Amino acid sequence: MSTRFESSRQVAVVGYAHSAVRRHADRPLGALTVDTARAAVADSGLEPKVIDGFVGSALFPTAGAHAAEDGVSTVSAAWLAERLGGTPRYVSGFQGIGQIPGSVALAVNAIASGAADYVVLHRALHNPAGGYHANPMTEAAGPQQWTAPQGFHGPLPMIALPYNEYLQRYGASREAMAATVVEARKNGARIPHSYWYERPLTTEEYLAAPMINDPVCRFDCDIPVDGVAAFVLTSAERAGDLPHKPVFVAGYAGSAPAPRRLPLHWPLDDIMGVGAETARRLWESSGIRPADVDLPQVYDGFSPFVWFWMEVLGLCPVGEAHRFVLDGGIDSDDPGALPVLSGGGAIGNGRMHGVPQMLECYLQLAGRAGERQRERATVGVACHSSPHYGGAVVYTTEPR
Amino acid sequence: MTADKQSAAGQRPGAARRPIPVPDERSAPYWAAAARHVLTVARCARCRAYTIPPDQTCPHCRTTAPEFVYEPVSGRGKVRSWTVVRQSSLPGFTGGVPFVLVDVELDEQAELRMIGRLLDGPEATLRIGDRVVVAFEDVAEAVSVPAFVLGGDA
Repeated sequence: MSTRFESSRQVAVVGYAHSAVRRHADRPLGALTVDTARAAVADSGLEPKVIDGFVGSALFPTAGAHAAEDGVSTVSAAWLAERLGGTPRYVSGFQGIGQIPGSVALAVNAIASGAADYVVLHRALHNPAGGYHANPMTEAAGPQQWTAPQGFHGPLPMIALPYNEYLQRYGASREAMAATVVEARKNGARIPHSYWYERPLTTEEYLAAPMINDPVCRFDCDIPVDGVAAFVLTSAERAGDLPHKPVFVAGYAGSAPAPRRLPLHWPLDDIMGVGAETARRLWESSGIRPADVDLPQVYDGFSPFVWFWMEVLGLCPVGEAHRFVLDGGIDSDDPGALPVLSGGGAIGNGRMHGVPQMLECYLQLAGRAGERQRERATVGVACHSSPHYGGAVVYTTEPR
Repeated sequence: MTADKQSAAGQRPGAARRPIPVPDERSAPYWAAAARHVLTVARCARCRAYTIPPDQTCPHCRTTAPEFVYEPVSGRGKVRSWTVVRQSSLPGFTGGVPFVLVDVELDEQAELRMIGRLLDGPEATLRIGDRVVVAFEDVAEAVSVPAFVLGGDA
């Protein structure tokens, strides 16, 4: 397989840790992050003192009026670097959307260039007191003047509009989305650190849920949580001396700029059109073809993203994802299916952003998924956010 | 057309107020026209393309000096999508749910899209491609916000 990405397969994930996912943690987010990062370093067979790179995203993704405070409601790479006790040479935060793929790209580039040898990548998510997106604004200035005065605010109508476009265009049924969400919750219920551990959702429960922004019901949304994950990455060469089987980064892609729109206006054609370019660059970067992927992990912060990602990645034809799901095509218990939500996703774990997708790729490809271990898991794709406003990473068990 | 019932929602005594737009140097002509119930769209003085929302650069010709002019438009367009908002994160709207938001492509230019409330009410039957025309909600003294109603023409 050819790739124009010279760092393809030169960097590997070598360990991880994940906190319990709770509605509200009983410890400060910063302290939880330091503990989780230390656990990830130990899991990798390393000491904190050798960690010389720190990357992550400190985005606090709320449309509400909450103030973001480092170490409290979010944790930046710099905040963690000051406290872990390593020897930071490279500390960088990813600014964009698609925070996990963007952070992986920072880590890969730092390690491949020699800017750092051992990088901790972390993500700390916080659920503030009060409504997550509640915003008592009585005046709308700047970009919001074009949307808030007519009540277009926050991510619910953002996703409801393209989801409805999809339903109207392709005739998808509510039963198909029920099957999608039930699959995410089934898999999340098998993960001990998940907020939804041992709490699957039934089709009947999904179908009985009232609409909140038609055609979105609350089960289509991930639940805000406190939770932290950390991964350790190093060079393929150094990874050979560490205890766990390395999982190599084959390539990555962030979305190209989308057409300028009103804030949070994400038309379906933007998502799919720019998303197709995201996917094209992902395959070009990684030297992987869609048919090679046996562990796609699509993003699901809102359930319609599952279908959008499946289609832009070419796992099924455009407009067909809903039928693919209804036909059992994503059932993680069927060895012949494409287990796009086997890691539970954000719907099955809680609002951990792209962490569940990255973690599932790591665990399955490293052979560390325990009872959930799949017989064949060689090439994974971890997606985050929207195909037109996010990113994805390809992981492989095969070194260069 | 002014929809008095809809604009009254959320403005009961003691209730939270709907967010009022704060015009700035770039947007002032837009809101001034809206107050007169005239829908305008920013048009680049260089390439003549319409843009929603206007910004420092023109997304069509990329000029950094678009010198946008707000030109009146027909206010007519077609529905590209919609949602019924039954839960709002803005307190000023929580008393007014459910209401409909429509994603409208204006007739003036392909993919020239804006989002507004549909004032026909939450029970209106909608299809992609339905025709709509602009209406205005008077939300405060000399402040009107563009919205839409079904119809206009074929």
